[in-house]
Amino acid sequence: MSANTTGEGAGTPDEDAYVPPFSEAPVGAILGGLAAILSSIGTAWIGALMLLIIADVVGRNFLDAPITGVSEIAARSVVAIVFLQVAAAILQRRLTRADFVLRRLEGASPRTLALFETVFALAGAVIFALVLWASYPKLADAWRTAEFFGVQGVFTIPTWPFRLITVVGSGLAALAALYVANDEIRKLRRAS
Amino acid sequence: QETITVNIGSSHPENNIWVYAMKNTFQPEVDRILAESGEYAIDWMESYGGTLYKFTDTREAVMDGIVDVGMVGTVWEGANMPLQNVTYFTPFATEDHRVIIEIFDDLSENLPELKDSWAENGMVHLSSLITDSYDIYATFPVTSLADLQNRKLNAPGTSANWLQETGATPVDGALTTYYTNIQTGVTEGTLSFASGILPTRVYEVAPELTRVGIGSMYFGGIAANMDFFEGLPAPVQDAFRQAAQATSIAHGDYVADLAARALDEMQAAGLTIHELPEEEKAAWVNGLPDIVEPWLEQTGDEGRVVLKAYFDALRERGIEPRRAWDEGL
Amino acid sequence: MTTLTLGFLFIGLLVVLVLAGMQIAYALLAVAFTGIWVIRDNLGLAFRMLELTAYSGIADYLFATIPLFVLMGLLVSVSNVGRDTFEVAEELLRRLICGLGVATVAANTVFAAVTGVSIASAAVFTRVAVPEMKRHGYRAAFSAGTVAGSSVLGMLIPPSLLLIIYGVLAEVSIGGMFIAGIVPGLMLAGGFVAMLMTITVLFPRFVLTDPKASRERRLDRTREPMPLSTMVAKLVPIVVLVVLVLGGLYTGYFTPTEAGGVGAFGALLVALARRSLNRRKLWQVMKQTGVISVSILLLLIAASFYSRMLSIAGLPNAIADLVAQSGFGPYGFLLLYTIIILLMGMILDSTSILLIMVPIAAPIALGMGFDLSHFGIVTVLAVEIGLLTPPFGLSVFTVHSTLDDPDVSIEQVFSATMPFIAVMLVVLVLVALFPLTATLFL
Ligand code: NA
Ligand code: NA
Repeated sequence: MSANTTGEGAGTPDEDAYVPPFSEAPVGAILGGLAAILSSIGTAWIGALMLLIIADVVGRNFLDAPITGVSEIAARSVVAIVFLQVAAAILQRRLTRADFVLRRLEGASPRTLALFETVFALAGAVIFALVLWASYPKLADAWRTAEFFGVQGVFTIPTWPFRLITVVGSGLAALAALYVANDEIRKLRRAS
Repeated sequence: QETITVNIGSSHPENNIWVYAMKNTFQPEVDRILAESGEYAIDWMESYGGTLYKFTDTREAVMDGIVDVGMVGTVWEGANMPLQNVTYFTPFATEDHRVIIEIFDDLSENLPELKDSWAENGMVHLSSLITDSYDIYATFPVTSLADLQNRKLNAPGTSANWLQETGATPVDGALTTYYTNIQTGVTEGTLSFASGILPTRVYEVAPELTRVGIGSMYFGGIAANMDFFEGLPAPVQDAFRQAAQATSIAHGDYVADLAARALDEMQAAGLTIHELPEEEKAAWVNGLPDIVEPWLEQTGDEGRVVLKAYFDALRERGIEPRRAWDEGL
Repeated sequence: MTTLTLGFLFIGLLVVLVLAGMQIAYALLAVAFTGIWVIRDNLGLAFRMLELTAYSGIADYLFATIPLFVLMGLLVSVSNVGRDTFEVAEELLRRLICGLGVATVAANTVFAAVTGVSIASAAVFTRVAVPEMKRHGYRAAFSAGTVAGSSVLGMLIPPSLLLIIYGVLAEVSIGGMFIAGIVPGLMLAGGFVAMLMTITVLFPRFVLTDPKASRERRLDRTREPMPLSTMVAKLVPIVVLVVLVLGGLYTGYFTPTEAGGVGAFGALLVALARRSLNRRKLWQVMKQTGVISVSILLLLIAASFYSRMLSIAGLPNAIADLVAQSGFGPYGFLLLYTIIILLMGMILDSTSILLIMVPIAAPIALGMGFDLSHFGIVTVLAVEIGLLTPPFGLSVFTVHSTLDDPDVSIEQVFSATMPFIAVMLVVLVLVALFPLTATLFL
């Protein structure tokens, strides 16, 4: 996480600063652009979730017409929101951490700092690659068996789009972490 | 003596009706049977209470070998194990939960459609799990279907189907949310069963029980991971099978005791019990749309076979379901 | 080596990685994956559990309330409702010793009645209160610590995500839990106020950079008081939100889990009514909601995977045995239980602690004659202390990263929250010894 976490900071121009211009860093631009698109979908999803809950509350209390399946939809939505936004969070370096050791290193040995950061970013890349690797077969299964959640005859929603989001999101997150690692390796070279 | 490590677990705690017999009958029975010859012993690694996985993942947990033996709630597996949910789509069949256990222990072993469904999901069915009969716990008594008009009742999942055309609005929820929902007026009651209502004290806020006879439901099974089970030595497999039979009986007894005790305790705490008149029950079930139709569409021929086998088994035992959901099959 | 020993080794490894500065989610996921692989000697199992946790570990309506409560917090902030609440509190408490600190606590107490997660309070009041406190001669780290410390009120005063989760796990009424949290929440707020004033008198240098200037400001009689009408105008929006959220809850229009969605929508209406939002600004607020939420939710996925590893290592069973065989009476049991929670709070997130401990402890507590609502408040108080304790203190992280001030290090914020931890421990002991504090209105 970093600055600008409340409304008072809203509208500052550095919001999408993690997407570099294509001419300078084509890979970063494409990666950042994709992450920004997914992240926007996730952002809109949070708003949609709020409206869905309001619609259910109003429907149930005033129209005798509750919306079936809100709790299941909300449950699946949380996971989707996370995997849609995680790549952008990695590129923005906003994942929570305790940085007191790192801050000491910043002054004392920038080289060691870059080394630490490289190792951490690579670990992140490996972890998300593992998630991708573990999740892909379940996506294939869900597609093949037309897996759904909900109840036959009441409401059913296919699960494959949700599993696809997990797969795509963790794949992009792994690439994002690799990109950060590459960035740190460059710093490492410069520092030595 | 050879010691075999068995990982056993559940998404629900040990005192839950579906877990109780696993811990208190299945495990000790296996130990007892194996101790007779002394050739094998089991080292149980217990992960009860959802510390390894949640209720949405009971099938995958056993299928993927996260536990070797586990409680599988097929009620939550409408997509992957729809056949097992036949009872939920054919309500008002029987209130005798022991009959449901007996029928599904038999069918899961001897009806190829059901046995294969467990096998396709990488599992071996050991023992059936059920609910006692579903009735209405509410802030008001139900003397006729008209009393349900414009009422909001907690009826999650498949049970929402049972309120179609009754004039009542089904509201999502779970055993753990009924109390608060009813207390604050989000709903005015719930469709549920005595052994589940007692521990959550829903009767305090919904003191009127109307027995409507929606009936006992097949909830799922205690199952073993297939690779694990087939890798067991034959005497241990036999011990598991025998223990599973004892577990089925113990589960039926436990639910019966608990339901009876629940009704006593709840009445002592002020619960009033009403019986919906027979003609109203008939009007309810016959007024329902053909709710089994979407299920038959999903499950096709296999569904037809299972439904027919289930209803035949009921009639063999002298039980005539209040509506012949199998008519025309 | 027993699996339990391995479990403890993997806890040690996690602490080392977190201290070294690895992203906490990465550390949790990596250690848990390795842990499951090694303990069960089964790589495939580690993969399957990873998939299961990633796909459904947080797939729950309860967790869907987190982004909604965060969104509400940010909307309240962008429409200056948080600032106004703080300003009125400041005006009313100006003459008190440590008036701004007390105002922060007071504003947090009111704000707690609309938000269900402490993170939202921490983020809002870092922006609102810290600059103001700094401007008036308070130490930046102390200001940040005050915000972090008082943010825990958000989870004790209803609505509260932790009380909802406890209610679900222990099968007690969530509405009842909310009522049980009110008195202990107010005790905590009162304790914070008393502590702030005492510390300011005894150790002014811990609190203030310039004690003299602060004193002069406090005694300054020339300042124009805020007119009553302004005060009322500033308070109307927060009162509307409190009435909407708590009123709706207790009249049955919506459930505790729906309160996040309704609250966020209410905050949106307030922001629109105050003309503090255009389309672009709304989008920015939503994006920030996403960024804050994803970092919390990813942590929750990782923590849930990690706690499953501990479960495979047999930790919950070991704790259960320890607790059951300790042979203590009820209060010995309660002491042991809270100590275990406090230790877990240093390395785990609140939800995982509840998930591990409540199913084990609630039946024992019931058997020992505790009221489960009372037991729940004790539990949640102990769990909340973990929001402030290093190395893994989510509230402190939130304040520190929201503040983004190079002069305020995370250790300084941690140390500034120590007095708050002390007050929480005192309240914890009082609530534990006097069940009436929780059950009074039940
Ligand atoms: Na709150
Ligand atoms: Na902590």
